[in-house]
Amino acid sequence: MRPSSLLALLATAIFASAAEDGAQVYSTLCVACHGPDGKGLNGLPPLVGSDWPKGPAARSIKIVLSGMEGPVDVAGKAYNIVMPPQGAVLSDEKIAAALTYVRATFAGGAGAVTPDEVKAVRAATASRTTPWTAAELLKAHPFPPAKTALKNLVGTMYKGNWKELPDFSTLKPALMEDFNVGVVDPDQSGLKSNFAMVWTAQFEAKEAGKYTFTLDCDDFGALYVGGEKVAEIKGIAPIGGRRKEVPVILKQGLTPIRIEFVQVAGEQVIHLGYKGPKDKGVQWLSKTRGGNAAKNTPSIPIQPKDGVAVIYRNFISGTTPRAIGIGFPNEMNLAYSGDNAAVELLWAGKFMDGGHHWTDRGAGNEPPAGTNVVKLSDGQALIQDTAPSGSIVRFATEKGGKEMKFSPLPVAGEFKGYDLDKAGNPTFRSTGEGFALTDAWAPDTASGKPGLVRTLKASGDKAVTIVLTRGVALTGPSDGVTEVGANLVIRAQSGVYPRTNAADKTLTVTLKPGESAVLGYSLR
Amino acid sequence: MKKLSLFLAFAALTSGLSAAAVVKKTDTKASEARQSEFYERVEIPTPAGEVCEVSSIALMPGKKVAIGTRRGDVWIAEGAYDADLSKIKWTKFASNLHEPLGMFWKAGSLYATQRPEHTRLTDTDGDGKADRFDSICSKWGINGDYHEYAFGSEPDKNGDVWVVLCLTGSFHGHSPWRGWCVRVTPEGKMIPTTSGIRSPGGIGANEKGDMFYTDNQGVWNGSSGFKWLRPGSFQGNPTGNKSAALSDFPAPPEPTSGSRILTERLKFPDFVPPAVMLPHAKVGNSPSGIACDMTKGKFGPWENQMLVGEQTASQVQRINLEFVNGLYQGAVFHFLGGFEAGLIPVRMDQEDGTLFVGGSNRGWGSRGTKPFTFERVRFKGKVPFEMHDISARHDGFEVTFTHPVDAASAADLKNYAMDTFTYIYQASYGSPEVDQTAPTIKSATLSEDGLKVRLVVDGLVRGHIHHLVTEVKAKSGDTLWHNEGWYTLNEIPAAK
Repeated sequence: MRPSSLLALLATAIFASAAEDGAQVYSTLCVACHGPDGKGLNGLPPLVGSDWPKGPAARSIKIVLSGMEGPVDVAGKAYNIVMPPQGAVLSDEKIAAALTYVRATFAGGAGAVTPDEVKAVRAATASRTTPWTAAELLKAHPFPPAKTALKNLVGTMYKGNWKELPDFSTLKPALMEDFNVGVVDPDQSGLKSNFAMVWTAQFEAKEAGKYTFTLDCDDFGALYVGGEKVAEIKGIAPIGGRRKEVPVILKQGLTPIRIEFVQVAGEQVIHLGYKGPKDKGVQWLSKTRGGNAAKNTPSIPIQPKDGVAVIYRNFISGTTPRAIGIGFPNEMNLAYSGDNAAVELLWAGKFMDGGHHWTDRGAGNEPPAGTNVVKLSDGQALIQDTAPSGSIVRFATEKGGKEMKFSPLPVAGEFKGYDLDKAGNPTFRSTGEGFALTDAWAPDTASGKPGLVRTLKASGDKAVTIVLTRGVALTGPSDGVTEVGANLVIRAQSGVYPRTNAADKTLTVTLKPGESAVLGYSLR
Repeated sequence: MKKLSLFLAFAALTSGLSAAAVVKKTDTKASEARQSEFYERVEIPTPAGEVCEVSSIALMPGKKVAIGTRRGDVWIAEGAYDADLSKIKWTKFASNLHEPLGMFWKAGSLYATQRPEHTRLTDTDGDGKADRFDSICSKWGINGDYHEYAFGSEPDKNGDVWVVLCLTGSFHGHSPWRGWCVRVTPEGKMIPTTSGIRSPGGIGANEKGDMFYTDNQGVWNGSSGFKWLRPGSFQGNPTGNKSAALSDFPAPPEPTSGSRILTERLKFPDFVPPAVMLPHAKVGNSPSGIACDMTKGKFGPWENQMLVGEQTASQVQRINLEFVNGLYQGAVFHFLGGFEAGLIPVRMDQEDGTLFVGGSNRGWGSRGTKPFTFERVRFKGKVPFEMHDISARHDGFEVTFTHPVDAASAADLKNYAMDTFTYIYQASYGSPEVDQTAPTIKSATLSEDGLKVRLVVDGLVRGHIHHLVTEVKAKSGDTLWHNEGWYTLNEIPAAK
């Protein structure tokens, strides 16, 4: 080796170690998302005011090495994005320098990070090929317990399948634990479906006065304060539509509080909070926070205009990803599932808010903005007497380990599109093996009540059965009138009348070619 | 003190070297400042008060232009070609589709590839608004993840639309056919066409009708790439491989992580390497829409070259392609810049020579600072002094320039510098540049017409990106508008 190149090599080595300037690494790689002031750019998460860069260095090192994805709360706001991993690009020295800079500058002087610490974490996580989730990181490196008004919080978990709140005193707990975290969270059960949680705690009122409690659940639950049931969320529906707010007068000091929660399937969320005499906004007692108080997106109401119905195609909570929402001018709304060729949700009042999907990256499902959300059915809505031949196939996906498993699902028919009339009223079209179906919806102008009229028409050469509701408590029909759950009435107006099938708890209507059914839907 | 003095010694050493050997690169700001000599870039006013994060552009008869937005609206403009854009007229054709990332006009209807399906939108009663929405194909999986984007092409010669389907969260295959390219026939049949996709940013065909897409740096992508969708091929990311079992598609390759693309693609003949790698942070960070220049000179002398949008840098890059030993390869050059937001769609009016671009910086930052933009670019008639293309030879490259090169300048080897590198092909995110080499340019011979410089290079490396910087001057004395090119040498051609 020639002396000059040796000198160059030596100089390079020293140059590298002397000049791993954390501020410089930050300003080339991190700044594009977290911003020069650490406050986040373009709606991306801040470092300032966040607990994430504080505490154990290993948590921050893991995030930089392997990235992070999925839902995460940062500085009181919910995000759902991907931070790209940098482990393949950055040396241990550069990561240590950048994190030292971030912790000193934006995290209130949290301690320096050394290249050796990065090296150790890199070795320990060498097999990690996908970004971390917030849940994984917090399991390994939890935040210090939150200081909330819930003291001595204990959670008890029960396994089972319920349609309404059971009498927990008769049940055997599957798990009981002290959750010294100050917030309730269905994930504390460790399960995703068919369980209940009962949390008990002492609620600390800082002063005497009126405390307005807020409760909402997916699926259902109840709140007891001072031994009395003050709020209950009934039925199986997504979060957002059934939120209860109840005032309770409390003395200063500790009052027993009890929260019952049941998860059947799908998303599991509880929103629990309160507003005390001196509070400006809702103080959340649940890990996931409810609307308004913590929402970091602007409100962009999507509403019908000039008497014309409005459409919204995006991810709507409570139905499938191929969702088509329609907001009618009489404050009735529906969501159609393109996956299941079915109207799956009805609700009253406001239609949708685009603030969430139309800002930042628009991650996640948006609940209906209105009230009285009724879940009509799940799964395929079109059925024939004979099993599907397999000429139309969709895919069922289910979790198989970390990834999803797909299995072919032959179906009787599929969504083919829709027409919109001048008033924006939709006619959904579907076809299947030997039939074509149109499914038209319009505001009910005759009854004077908030309602919709649905007209189903079949053609082709084979009959088709349409599932109108599935899995909802039914009363009737008598004289063509069916009560669906507590909030919805379906009235047969003309054509073929629907019938209930007690065995699988469905309300269906079967149309032969050329037949139709006209049904009135009214919400209580 | 000791460290400081050594540092100074090192600095002196490198600056001494640079004066002798390093060819200066054109600086981005300087080249963007010269752009108006050659191209006119104009912002087209979008409908007042509306958020038009342009996600797709369709050209319609009668000089109408339709835009789709990320919020899902479709607007049709009359007057987008006019000199006076203050009189532009916008009509809303449809509302709140699900993020249409591909749109074209055919036989009286607009067709949009939106997240859940490929859709035909028709105005059957002539009132200017779509009233019939036909779901042509919805056979790919979506699960509610925001990253499961679907980018659709214009129809190919069979009328099929090619759709590239991003991985779930850009890392996973949680729904059927994520990480695949599928073709949708006019009847709505879905034909799985290639595996191996990560996170596309756009799709488009070259003049022969071969389809290409851009894929972003990430897992199994050491850097972003411009890739050829040869039917039946594997594009490099095995995450979505399991969907092959859902049809009769042969099992895609399971490559080894920590390898090199060349090594793995020689093991697996179905593995088509990126036609042109787009080196991260040097060319751009996030490639997007694709257009082929078939304007016969109306947009400048780039006939059949590919134009590629860039989201982060708010630019359009230029690519020349050639076909060697059964694979596409070629060079990428910086081209147009200074756009107002991150670019997504890029659409060329081939008759008129007007390039339409649009985009947004929502969710991903961009150099352009506006939240959204719709713009057009036209050639002003003055041809810039540029490398027109780089073409591989068995022993080097031939560089064609747009104007005759000064003979003395062309012959001076100090006016050229070349380095090569590649990336680690791995399951983790991105890669540093690795395996760097410094080939020697042994001779530079100018053609009689002064347009071509034949470089004989000692040390070509198959599979590497060959980065050429040149400071040659035109016969007129003009300097190059952009003086860097990155040639992806998948194959070294045989001697003729």
